[in-house]
Amino acid sequence: MKEADEFHAILKDPVSYGRKMKEQGRKIVGYFCSYTPEEIIYAAGAHPFRIFASGENIHFADAHFQSYCCSLVRGALEGALAGNLDFLDGAVFPHTCDSIQRLSDIWRMNVKGPFHADIVLPVKLDTESARSYMIDVLRKFRKDLASHLRVEITDDMLKNAIGTFNTIRRSLKRLYELKAENPGIISGRDVYAIVKASMMMDRDHLTEALPAVIGELEKKKGNAELYAGKRIVLAGGICNHPDIYRIIEDAGAVVVWDDFCTGSRYFEESVKDNADPMAAIAGRYIERPVCPAKHAGIFTRGENLLKIAKEKDARGVVFLFLKFCDPHAFDYPYMKEFLDREGIPSMMLEVEDQLPSEGQLRTRFETFVDML
Amino acid sequence: MITAGIDIGSITTKAAVMAEGKIRGTKVVFTGYNAEQAGTKVYEELLAELGMEKSDVGRIVSTGYGRNSVKFMDKAMTEIICHGAGAHYLNPRARSVIDIGGQDSKAIVLDEKGKVKNFAMNDKCAAGTGRFLEVMARALEVDLDGFGTLSLRAGDPSRISSLCTVFAESEVISLISKGENRENIIAGIHESIAARIAAMANRLRIAPLVVMTGGVAKNIGVVKALERKIGMAVEVSEYAQVNGAIGAAFLAAGLK
Amino acid sequence: MNKMPEIVLFFLAKIKKLALHFKKKKKMKEIMMVYYMEAKSARISGRKVAWITSGGPVEPLIAMDVIPVYPENHGAMIGASKMGTDLCEKSESMGYSSDLCSYARSDIACATVNGGPIGGLPRPDMLICCNNICGTVLKWYEVQARYFNVPLFIFDTPFCHVGYAEEVQRYVRSQLDEYVLFLEKACGKKMDSDHLKAVGKLSLEGQRLWQAVLATTANSPAPMTAFDAFYHLALIVTLRGTPLVIDYYTQLLEKMKDRVARGIGAIPNEKYRLLWDNIPIWPRTRWLSEKLASHNACLVADTYTSAWCGTTKYIDENNFFDSMAEAYTRIYLNIGVDEMARIVLEMVDMYKVDGIVMHSNRSCKPYSLGQYDIQKIVEKERGIPCLMIEADMVDERSFSESQVSTRIDAFMEIIKERKGA
Repeated sequence: MKEADEFHAILKDPVSYGRKMKEQGRKIVGYFCSYTPEEIIYAAGAHPFRIFASGENIHFADAHFQSYCCSLVRGALEGALAGNLDFLDGAVFPHTCDSIQRLSDIWRMNVKGPFHADIVLPVKLDTESARSYMIDVLRKFRKDLASHLRVEITDDMLKNAIGTFNTIRRSLKRLYELKAENPGIISGRDVYAIVKASMMMDRDHLTEALPAVIGELEKKKGNAELYAGKRIVLAGGICNHPDIYRIIEDAGAVVVWDDFCTGSRYFEESVKDNADPMAAIAGRYIERPVCPAKHAGIFTRGENLLKIAKEKDARGVVFLFLKFCDPHAFDYPYMKEFLDREGIPSMMLEVEDQLPSEGQLRTRFETFVDML
Repeated sequence: MITAGIDIGSITTKAAVMAEGKIRGTKVVFTGYNAEQAGTKVYEELLAELGMEKSDVGRIVSTGYGRNSVKFMDKAMTEIICHGAGAHYLNPRARSVIDIGGQDSKAIVLDEKGKVKNFAMNDKCAAGTGRFLEVMARALEVDLDGFGTLSLRAGDPSRISSLCTVFAESEVISLISKGENRENIIAGIHESIAARIAAMANRLRIAPLVVMTGGVAKNIGVVKALERKIGMAVEVSEYAQVNGAIGAAFLAAGLK
Repeated sequence: MNKMPEIVLFFLAKIKKLALHFKKKKKMKEIMMVYYMEAKSARISGRKVAWITSGGPVEPLIAMDVIPVYPENHGAMIGASKMGTDLCEKSESMGYSSDLCSYARSDIACATVNGGPIGGLPRPDMLICCNNICGTVLKWYEVQARYFNVPLFIFDTPFCHVGYAEEVQRYVRSQLDEYVLFLEKACGKKMDSDHLKAVGKLSLEGQRLWQAVLATTANSPAPMTAFDAFYHLALIVTLRGTPLVIDYYTQLLEKMKDRVARGIGAIPNEKYRLLWDNIPIWPRTRWLSEKLASHNACLVADTYTSAWCGTTKYIDENNFFDSMAEAYTRIYLNIGVDEMARIVLEMVDMYKVDGIVMHSNRSCKPYSLGQYDIQKIVEKERGIPCLMIEADMVDERSFSESQVSTRIDAFMEIIKERKGA
């Protein structure tokens, strides 16, 4: 759909988009992963800009990372060392896995941006002491960011920011719901581009662009053709491959939901309208479906995936993992077993920055869809 | 009705013709760089050998990586579905198929009707594929066709532990320079590929009867090593290499 | 209370007698054998067993008379006995990726088949996971918590990229109390704080002795090698906080001092001194040690075994419990790469090494990612060469003997050249 064009354009060339914003005098703070409190960055008057792998061949990063490190970490460092991220006024690293942890060190030692923040969140999210530690960590980030940008971040500014991001999250969720209810009205590629570009786009513009997309879809849904594809759910960390959606659709299936850091985990749950904004932001991270690098009970992630698959009436699940992503690889066997027990077929695909040959992918997806 | 199956793989292209549920003939040619040409060639040559005309053939299913490159087929289906169907046709008791091809290998679990219940494929690494054996044969300067029988004469198979084809090659070279006998090295190579395939197969919880298809099934050494690793008998049909094409021809008969 | 069958009592008495006998002799092999026998007979002797990560706070367990068992130590034993490849393959058929930590893979597989050199670890009553060494242990212990269906306590030590923040201290300190409550509930009895204090003292003393043992290799020739340290390490990891450790290392220290006094080196002709980085390549330690010795090179120190005595400076002898929070949080693998490089430089100076051998360990990302930067810092600051060996601590399939051999030869040529041999 044409409303998705500007999202595709950002994803195609995020660097130019970032530079353009910089030229307009914006402060830009790069960040990793969906545990970044974007609300605080936005409240400070800066623009939160999510960093992904540059997609270019690894050249500079090879001097810092071994080959058994995932393509997100290697690719992100590559972009920074190649000078593509020179428009950033700082970078934020929420602590998740062992590789991101070392990326932060190596970034701090070699990229040497003007502002470097580690948000060392607790690894367990299911105790009271972890909650109060998380609030402490967020407060510290608020203070550090304010002093670096020489601004004051008031509670009112934060509440306004929380409102903005809650609106964005609700819109993205509505987009997913519309797709799940009427799979034919928008392509998987478009949905993918809209969600991912939302993590980079100017948020004030985004709060206008998303309703436009959704308005268009709401109009279309009444006379949408019934889509006959088999309904599937994707699960994993980040997805860097719009082609996957096309290949899945060509194979006769349609993605109706996901459990991705670049998907539903980004928008699930709202920040409550509490008195203390820091406690409210922490509260959302505790309520939200977790990343496998965090702990919220030993069955939580399997149960959540099962819930998604059932609620969205999915015939099958495709696990899409980055090669060398340990947290996901550890959870895979039990999550697969959860699905097996309920008779939901699944397949697993490990990818790096480049997809396997399209021939092999087509073979896998066509066979899988035929099985459903 | 007469049906045909054409399996266009990365190294070889196979064709099978069936009539009223019976195999009438099969043929194998090298694929080369032009998949469409190879598919057309193997089909026309097989028909000529059988004294048939194109108009005699009611339906055609293509499969393999090049399945969409031929234009005259009625339907393209993945080689996994076709291998499952082929194995089922040749032996209805087959519940698992292990296919080791030139570029990739797969394990397939079937239901009692020969329909695919679950499957796994190797990642992009060459270990556990026919390519791995080719590299090793080159390092050993032994003809690949002799690999199977040579390895059966091994007294004490060498231990080749590397997962990586490049590492494993250097292991083989250092075994050669240490004077280890060829039979033992080849047996070690077979153990290594079998271990890799067994890990993939066990992940799917394969069940008997296990049949092996693909070119590597001709290598008795790999088959025996695999039997030991998975603890089940592995059957190899005389049609192992053309199993996918047979499956395609069989499925063509059932097309609506 | 059921009366124990006579045969069991007889068996227990036997173990006890054996234990006394070995404790007097203080041989590592026997001590470890008794330790594992005691752990494996815990069910009949009525004691609880906890599985705990190698860097985890073990002192409260010892004080509660819970037997700590270390899956990582078990992983090392599996690797050293060359049983890792089969177990790793087994875990892969269970669906675990071959890129995952090989300690975790072999342990997860071993639990289901009771394989490995000691027929599997005793079943745990509880799991204690401290993430100061990596995030992998969290996922690994979650797997085991599902498998054994036992309570899991996560002792969360936030990563210290730079310095040590006060909110971290507050959080970790409060978890120590939660830990004690968890143990009291699991064991159905109160913690004896005097006993815990005494255990703390023993733990600190053990760590200091271990530090002293390792420091003897600053002498030239070194009285022992890092390969010896890999072996003697087992006690400070597994039995920290018990008197056994004190006796053993006291004796070892005397022996090393005696060797130093008499000028006896660990290898016949020590000419080159090297520092080891990362977990050993367990199935290949002997090969590697012989290979280096053939070049008259001695691994005199390593960053690995010193990790079990690297934070004594944070421990308050008179307030062990409170200071544990900082000591367990600031260990070698839980700090920034630049801080690690600084420690490596200190070791380079203290042990007067000519070069560094780095094991780029596919299994261990927190240890290995960052090695290239440490290498650059060392080469720049001290001008000594570093060799990178890509391998794995347990899984032999990631090891290429001919490739490593060639690299070592080339590296030693550089070192010999530089020393003007």
